[in-house]
Amino acid sequence: MPEIKVNDLTHTFGKGSPNALTVLEGIDLTFETGSFNTIIGTSGCGKSTLLKMMAGLFDPSDGEMTLDGTVIKGTDRRRGMVFQQDAVFPWMTVAKNISYGPRLRGASKSDQREIETKWAKMVGLTGFEDRWPRELSGGMRKRVDIGRVYANDPDVLLMDEPFGALDAQTKERMQSDLLETWSTTKKTVVFVTHDIEEAIFLSDNIIVLSSRPGRVHHIEKVTLPRPRSNEMRLTEEFLEIKRRLWGMLDH
Amino acid sequence: MKVVDILSSRRLQLGVLSIAAVFLVYMWITNQPDNNPALLPPISDIVASFFTNLNSGNLLSALGASLFRITMGFFIGTTLALIVGCMVGWYKTIEYLVDPLIEAVRPIPPLAYIPIIIIWFGIDEFSRVLIITIACFMVCVVNVIAGMKNVPQVYVDAASTMGASRFQVFRTVAIPAATPFIITGYRIALGAAWTTLVASELLAAQNGLGFLLQEGRRYFATDQVMMVIVIIGGCAFIMDRIFRRIQAYLMQWSEARE
Ligand SMILES: Nc1ncnc2c1ncn2[C@@H]1O[C@H](COP(=O)(O)OP(=O)(O)OP(=O)(O)O)[C@@H](O)[C@H]1O
Ligand SMILES: [Mg+2]
Repeated sequence: MPEIKVNDLTHTFGKGSPNALTVLEGIDLTFETGSFNTIIGTSGCGKSTLLKMMAGLFDPSDGEMTLDGTVIKGTDRRRGMVFQQDAVFPWMTVAKNISYGPRLRGASKSDQREIETKWAKMVGLTGFEDRWPRELSGGMRKRVDIGRVYANDPDVLLMDEPFGALDAQTKERMQSDLLETWSTTKKTVVFVTHDIEEAIFLSDNIIVLSSRPGRVHHIEKVTLPRPRSNEMRLTEEFLEIKRRLWGMLDH
Repeated sequence: MKVVDILSSRRLQLGVLSIAAVFLVYMWITNQPDNNPALLPPISDIVASFFTNLNSGNLLSALGASLFRITMGFFIGTTLALIVGCMVGWYKTIEYLVDPLIEAVRPIPPLAYIPIIIIWFGIDEFSRVLIITIACFMVCVVNVIAGMKNVPQVYVDAASTMGASRFQVFRTVAIPAATPFIITGYRIALGAAWTTLVASELLAAQNGLGFLLQEGRRYFATDQVMMVIVIIGGCAFIMDRIFRRIQAYLMQWSEARE
């Protein structure tokens, strides 16, 4: 069961050098199995850094993280990540991008086809399977990115501002779709965003990080019932949380 | 598609125009009464020389010899460059080991090796191919290394979080991401191959295009010299065109398409 624990984690870039930069300090967090967690915080407070360390791309300078009790070291397909930047491979068609992970593990041609069709549909890119990424809009490429990570079927989904580049309508649709997919698969999700409303709409827990060095400033439990609908965005409970969080992010 | 068509045809027209202009100016100069045909042979002489050499078989055997050397040198040199470049660019240990060596040797013009190669291996086919190989290797390997080092980190990260092994990342991410650099390296190597070919044949050969040039100089047959220059230009041009085709095919995915 994919439960992630972060134990007293501190990260300093260029530790020991004169321009060392501590971005995260004393982070203690637990992401329960199957929970949807969102991290918010001002730009540069270390959200991406934290996510990348959870993905195993580099080690924290102090402390550790565990997945089901095993210390996270190095990357693993169980921990999938949607990056803040565009990470779609430009030299592969949309379909080949989507089936990249299964192809690494030698999926058969027919399995590949099935996965490509299924996830292209899920992220609304049916009909674009044979296009090159350069022929897509920024938002469409982001959806390829997301579909590719879903198709790889990780236990833990790390998502770094995946909907940041999308227009309001697409964004709301993608949020609902994400919740739907998540509710059927029950993966543990750690999601990063700048958008407070998005955080409330999606999450069980919202972790507010303080500015650099990032510390856990507050953890908000969102008890809005599930499944969530867009109408809930206007309820008093929702707006109440929004006001509270808004005050915490030092604007 | 329309715009591209118009653009390329405009490109063709202008290209033909500039070549025609040079041609006409040359004709005009060689038609002046005080022109010395021994220095600037009229085009008719150059064409005549072409047919003389064609009929005697000299031209074809020279072309054959040169193309053989170019192909061998280019193929061996770039293949080695691809292998070495990938290893150096991808594996830190190998980079630290080999990179200083490459950096130290790189500024030496390949032609500087000619004397030592002649001393070691004599003036034979192997030596000439070796010089071209060295030249192709040197200019190509630098590009391959640069390509490998410029693979965007986010692609590497994305692949490894999806479970790719280091070697799978190399094969499915690094190589394709480095393709633009690698192709550029191959094209520059082709240019270097021609340069060193002619130079090595000028110095030490009994056949080949460079030898024909040298022979023309010795007998003051300027028309022959001019003819060979045009042939070399033509061959290099055709090869570069073929290369661009390959490049366009391999780079279909890229935004920058010439
Ligand atoms: N590889 C690195 N080397 C040195 N410093 C880094 C590196 N990566 C990030 N930083 C620094 O760490 C800090 C946190 O970066 P990070 O990308 O985690 O911020 P973030 O919270 O994701 O911000 P944003 O919301 O703008 O994406 C920044 O000040 C950044 O300059
Ligand atoms: Mg970030």
